[in-house]
Amino acid sequence: MRTKPSPRARLLLYGLLLVLCVPFVFPTWWMVTSSLKPATEIFAFPPSLLPDHPEFGAYDKVFDLQPFGQQYVNSMYIAAVVTLGTLAFSSLAGYAFARIRFRGQNALFLVVLTGLLIPSEVTIVPLFQMFRDWDMIDTHWPLILVPVFGAPSVLATFIMRQFYIALPNELEEAARMDGLGRFATFLKIALPLSRPALAAVAIFTFLHSWNLYLEPTVYLSTPEKFTLPQALTSYVDAYGGPMWNVQLAAASLTALPVLAVFVFAQRQFVEGLAHTGLK
Amino acid sequence: MKTLERSTSAVPPPQRSRRPFWTARRRDHAVGYLFIAPQLAGSVIFVLIPLVMVLWYSFHEWNVLAGTFHSVGADNYRALADDPKLPGVLRNTALFSAGLVTLNLGLALALAVLLNQRLRGRVVFRTLFFSPVVVSLVAWTIVWGFLLQKNGGINAFLDLVGVQGPNWLRGEGTAMLSVVVVQVFKNVGLNMVLFLAALQGVPQEFYEAATVDGAGRWRQFWRITVPLISPTILLTSIITVVGSLQVFAQIAVLTQGGPGDSTTVLVYYLYQQAFEFHHFGYGATLSVLLFLIVLVLTVIQWQMRKRWVFHEN
Amino acid sequence: MNTHLRNRRTTLAALTVAGLLALTACGGGDGGSGSEGPVSLSMTIWTGNEEHLKLLNGIAADYRKSHPEVKEIKFDTLPVETYTTTLTTRIAGGKAPDLAWILENSAPDFVSSGALVPVKDDPDVLPAAKKLWQRDGKLYAYPFSTSPYGVFVNTDLIKKAGQPAPADLIEQGRWNWDEVAKIGSAVNARTGKAGMVIRDFDYKAWDNLASVWNGWGAEAWSEDGRTCGFDKPEMVGAMTYLHRAVFEDKAMPAPGTTADFFSGEAAMTVTQISRASLLTDSFAWDFVPLPEGPKGPYDVIGQAGLGVFGNGRHVEEATDFLTFMTNAENSAKLGRFFPQARTSQLDAATLAASNPQVKPEALEEVVINGIKEGKVKPSHTNQSEIAEAVRSALDPLWTPDADVEKVLGDVCSAIRPQLEK
Repeated sequence: MRTKPSPRARLLLYGLLLVLCVPFVFPTWWMVTSSLKPATEIFAFPPSLLPDHPEFGAYDKVFDLQPFGQQYVNSMYIAAVVTLGTLAFSSLAGYAFARIRFRGQNALFLVVLTGLLIPSEVTIVPLFQMFRDWDMIDTHWPLILVPVFGAPSVLATFIMRQFYIALPNELEEAARMDGLGRFATFLKIALPLSRPALAAVAIFTFLHSWNLYLEPTVYLSTPEKFTLPQALTSYVDAYGGPMWNVQLAAASLTALPVLAVFVFAQRQFVEGLAHTGLK
Repeated sequence: MKTLERSTSAVPPPQRSRRPFWTARRRDHAVGYLFIAPQLAGSVIFVLIPLVMVLWYSFHEWNVLAGTFHSVGADNYRALADDPKLPGVLRNTALFSAGLVTLNLGLALALAVLLNQRLRGRVVFRTLFFSPVVVSLVAWTIVWGFLLQKNGGINAFLDLVGVQGPNWLRGEGTAMLSVVVVQVFKNVGLNMVLFLAALQGVPQEFYEAATVDGAGRWRQFWRITVPLISPTILLTSIITVVGSLQVFAQIAVLTQGGPGDSTTVLVYYLYQQAFEFHHFGYGATLSVLLFLIVLVLTVIQWQMRKRWVFHEN
Repeated sequence: MNTHLRNRRTTLAALTVAGLLALTACGGGDGGSGSEGPVSLSMTIWTGNEEHLKLLNGIAADYRKSHPEVKEIKFDTLPVETYTTTLTTRIAGGKAPDLAWILENSAPDFVSSGALVPVKDDPDVLPAAKKLWQRDGKLYAYPFSTSPYGVFVNTDLIKKAGQPAPADLIEQGRWNWDEVAKIGSAVNARTGKAGMVIRDFDYKAWDNLASVWNGWGAEAWSEDGRTCGFDKPEMVGAMTYLHRAVFEDKAMPAPGTTADFFSGEAAMTVTQISRASLLTDSFAWDFVPLPEGPKGPYDVIGQAGLGVFGNGRHVEEATDFLTFMTNAENSAKLGRFFPQARTSQLDAATLAASNPQVKPEALEEVVINGIKEGKVKPSHTNQSEIAEAVRSALDPLWTPDADVEKVLGDVCSAIRPQLEK
């Protein structure tokens, strides 16, 4: 189906894509341009496409009012640790569920799968009590441990399992015949082959951690430890009203780097997935 | 996969009995358990134990503010059966999820097919369609709130083509539709990328052969593309169904469950009961109900894979 | 839209909160126990504003000078959207703060729950301001912010529509809701902008309408909270007025239409005086008292409270700090940002210092009378549950051909079981 369309079809296609783009792009456009408007202009109706007099004051305030740089670092390193941890454990588990036969396999897979079915907020109170007992309130541990081991990583394990099931087995068989142990086979043969699935897992996991909102607000209480989504809502005026232009400036600063990473990584991500991918 | 361990060299030499303890099979079991150990332990500690606690709370009346916690037996479950609001809430939930899954998967697949053409600039479009995924949900919803106003951008556009648009967020039917659509645009990019990857994995020769056989585009799509990407369809539909039952932010921001109760879905209702009305025991009971619903749906989808999904196991 | 977001703080909240809930067994938990050694106090607040934190930390530092046993006083900023959710989760998890700011709409639940301990009842604080925070004659939270409702006017827009300025109407003794409907209608017809906006209402947060219906002498429920007031003639009168103003006169924006006064989209808005900080010099404005209703002049106030949790670890020290923080001297400092309902501070000079943008006469009228006489918005135990039931039952009213009396009757049927509990 990957054909080269005729010129007329191509024109039609471009038109269609352009129209389709509008609902996807306009809100982001508004977010970024509104961060350059004075607070009172943001809610003018109808919304203007460009600020009358762009000003960058809101961006200064982002850093003045909160330790935003530190918060950026927090979000980055938490997301990175969570992503790495999830990649490691989910590929191990996914590989085992797909490739190795052991007693109780299906039952255990179902146990793990339960995690996928629970909105993580359903369990926030018992988890809070648990972390309180471990004296981990107002630390980053809950934001790392729960995603790496709990519900969010289950999706990752699931993806990895599906991937390995679809992946031809011959290379690994050959390696094992050459005397390679299970773990070495996994590490040296299977893992490098699963780069596309790992990329998918990495994107899911990173975004999940990056956007986590409820958990940080529940667990963290020191601004220096805040993560970005939590920091965004902390820009309020004297009466608890949001400082919209500052919040939007902060939101833009939060979204754009991730978008940039996607732009650069997408070829790898999409086209890599395609060859062996999750089909 | 049932091949026995062939490399005996690494096996500790058995001394005591004729049948070695570390048979290849036993070794495989052990390795399997070791591989899944971290994930399994995490699931038990961070998923199952808390889930059991939620189940335990659902048999209690617990007012957090007053600090009262006492057993009420199955009262919360009886209240569930008698809750006059619940049938409406469940109907809304079904509508929301069905609408979301249909639109999301349909649009994701359509976009993926469009972007799978040999087209200059498709990387740009791909990025644009994906971009909402990384945008702050608050900003996203505010803008859509604007666009959906009675005198907002969407109706202004409809005006141009001579249609008088409805009051989207205030009409019983259109409010639900609006909430679904806003959610679809936010997240369809993820599914689109997964579909795109799957489409690019479909061997070109299949289509060439089909063309030679005289099969049209449409037929090729249904006979070749869909079956070949069925594992991805399964994966995305599970993720999307589960997600649709868990998302409530847009509802909270755009309609707060209204007008009337027309957009009050289960997660939103459960949130209100537990965190706004302080009925935590009842909130836990609704959580259990939500869990069971998601469980049943997932089992159904999982079973369906055997019939629909090309080549698993 | 911002109104949307602003006011249902608990709801929006949860942005990511998808699911929820459940709460706690070992609740209350092992938090307790006596306090030996150096004491560390925590207080949850919803402002992250630097000026505010500077002020609060300054007061805390002063306190520690005279109380060396208190090692630390920590202010935890929680996002206002999820404030009550987060606070509740922490209480459920056995980590209640020692002190907390409390939002007006959750006041009845907190005060009646028994979670708070009584605080010092300073006679300098006006009785009207204390009402929301009292139970059985005791004060359970200090009303640290009491802000009266008034009307901000975009005088440029009114002039453009050829309408009389509210200030002139006041002089002629004609500043009433009927005139508001006329002006609003004319503004809308001639400029396309909105006439009058009841800020934060947005056809959802109906308790904001108290700033209108009090002029009719209407009430959501009786003083004792047991009788529904929505089907009474006063309420029918007030709601009929609103319905006509919205759908016939088009003096107020219809449901699903946003108009932000502070962006110059509306001629008038009813809101708290503290919102003056949102004004810029992009248009000429005025601040006047609420218009008269059929029952004459009236006042309405909005509040926030500060309370001490009974199951915190240092109840005694926390109560003592609250008394210090809200004494005459410190409350004068707080008054710079949060209007204080204290007799000693209700003079034009003090007020002018903290509200530099507003004309002294307006301050005199709105603030002094407002705080002295003002009614708080309707409140009831199980407030949030009742509020949601009213919101849902009131929705049918906001259509052009609604039967006002019937809808209001339905509202009463919807909430009566709750009221009678």
